Amino acid sequence: MPFSLIVAWRYITANSLQTLLLVLGVSLSVVVFVFITALINGLSIFLTQETTSKIAHIELEPANKIASVLTNDNRFVAQPVSTLQRKQIRNWQQVIDIAQSTPGVSVISPIVDGNAFLVRGEATQPIAIQGVEPSKVDAITNISRYIIKGTAELTTGGLIIGADLADELGLLVGTPVLLKSERGPERLLPITGIFRVNLASLDKRVGFLSINVARPLFELPDGITSLGLKVDNPADAPAIAMVLQNSTQLKSTPWQEKNKSLQDATDAQGRTGNFIQGFALLAIVISIASALLLSTYRRRAEIGIMRATGISRQFVATVFILQGVFIGALGAFLGAAAGYQLCVQLASITKADGSAMLPIAPSEGSYMLVIILTIVGSALAAVLPARSASSVDPVEAIQQ
Amino acid sequence: MTNTLLFANNIIKTFRNGEHETCVLKGINLSIPHGKMMALQGASGSGKSTLLNILGLLMRPTSGELRLLDHSLINLSDAQLSTYRNQHLGFVFQYHNLLPDFTALENVAFPAAAPTGRLTSEIKKRALLLLDKVGLSHRSHFLASQLSGGQKQRVAIARSLINNPKLVFADEPTGNLDQDSAKQVMNLLRDINQTDNTTFLISTHDNSVAANCDDIVRIVDGKIAGV
Ligand SMILES: Nc1ncnc2c1ncn2[C@@H]1O[C@H](COP(=O)(O)OP(=O)(O)OP(=O)(O)O)[C@@H](O)[C@H]1O
Ligand SMILES: [Mg+2]
Repeated sequence: MPFSLIVAWRYITANSLQTLLLVLGVSLSVVVFVFITALINGLSIFLTQETTSKIAHIELEPANKIASVLTNDNRFVAQPVSTLQRKQIRNWQQVIDIAQSTPGVSVISPIVDGNAFLVRGEATQPIAIQGVEPSKVDAITNISRYIIKGTAELTTGGLIIGADLADELGLLVGTPVLLKSERGPERLLPITGIFRVNLASLDKRVGFLSINVARPLFELPDGITSLGLKVDNPADAPAIAMVLQNSTQLKSTPWQEKNKSLQDATDAQGRTGNFIQGFALLAIVISIASALLLSTYRRRAEIGIMRATGISRQFVATVFILQGVFIGALGAFLGAAAGYQLCVQLASITKADGSAMLPIAPSEGSYMLVIILTIVGSALAAVLPARSASSVDPVEAIQQ
Repeated sequence: MTNTLLFANNIIKTFRNGEHETCVLKGINLSIPHGKMMALQGASGSGKSTLLNILGLLMRPTSGELRLLDHSLINLSDAQLSTYRNQHLGFVFQYHNLLPDFTALENVAFPAAAPTGRLTSEIKKRALLLLDKVGLSHRSHFLASQLSGGQKQRVAIARSLINNPKLVFADEPTGNLDQDSAKQVMNLLRDINQTDNTTFLISTHDNSVAANCDDIVRIVDGKIAGV
């Protein structure tokens, strides 16, 4: 073992109570760092999950502009659509093939959507109809999970609507209701299920139909209006959307674009977190610097003796840097372990409904980062004391 | 001239305290021969410690020439002087001699272990041998803070010898000790001087200590009064 390491270790263990307090102080800052990191990351994960579990990660729609016709035999190109024509995707089966072979895409759901009115007696309510394949009713939003009455079964040709809309029209499961499409056709449909997702936009405005029922209502015998996609990792959606846009020439929108405020909110949280993290690290640096500086004053005579016997400035400086590193490392590992325990404990506290009290993610405490930053910060904190120690004048120190 | 270990020529040292200047050493000429045990005497404040610090390369003179083994030392850098101290010189001081958190053995080994970066078993062996020489091998694992004043000085003497120095400076090594311990320490220095031919320069107030040495150097009024 290098002799400087032995000396540094002896110095910090010689005054074990002071070292213990210092290490505890450092680890407390590390706990704060870990806690705030796990909380903010957890919150961001929670919010992102909440959002992405209910919406399409990527939406493919016909492009607004006329797509240029590419004459590449190997590649499929969406057929140009005139703006005067009805916007639709005619060759959607081919688009599905492309999407399926695109890495990262997990679910593809063809959709015929459009606006309509639900009419019951005198009352009329607007509704956004999503015509989906009955087997894919849960593909984008897990409607089955949120059904509060009836079923999510679409094969029977019924309509599934949100609870708020059902309340407004006094609709119950089994009640027939008249659906008037924006394009003219209308049809009497039974309510087969009522859901509550707890998203006003869904609960109040959206209804699900079998795609086959929706086709005549919106006069789309072959084409579809859009494709909803889920990807394995929602964070990859923008990159995958780019790939799809290039390979299909369809307008490809990742969920992030439609949820900018969520991104802004998590960014703002992240910045708040960075502040607190910065202060925690600053507290570590200051406490180590001041403790070691004090120690250089206390050990002046000893350092003087070392220098008198011809021990180099570098050796003295190294001993003090190493003390900082030791204290930092001890505090970092202790604090990281304690911080993890704290996060695990806090994450296990649940509210009455069984959901977590704090959306804390114990695995997201940035442990490696905080350990590295703490050790590096501690070494830097020791630079000033190390300089002070290595510049002790032996004659002055010994004569005192 | 070949017998001269350390040669000092016209060493002048002036301390400046703001406006005030004190000239402590006013032209010291001194040559220390190999193998001698020399005493440095003078009234309190006459400049004994100052001279030892200059000769021991701990302090630079205001002017003058200094040669060790016929090498001029005046133009060396601080780091080079430090290496010289480590490899060729030994020191025993009156106070604060040891590192209290280290054992007697570690204290002795320190000047050899730090520059090489390792506390090797050879260094330990040699340190133990020196502790044995100063009669403290049975205390080798005591912390320095657990030793008596006389024991500390003996450990300091052992430490001063770890790198086989040509010359050992001792600034009032017995000044802090009772008569018996002082005598023990002086006998030890004499013994080492005679068996190993190590050269000593010892500053002291104590005439009996000085009487034990081969030569006495006196500082009077900033100059050497007589050898
Ligand atoms: N750093 C300094 N700045 C100013 N004056 C100093 C300094 N060091 C020593 N002196 C002065 O130099 C003179 C000689 O001091 P020195 O310590 O060398 O004397 P000494 O002979 O060792 O005395 P003592 O026997 O009491 O130890 C004293 O007058 C002292 O005040
Ligand atoms: Mg003195």
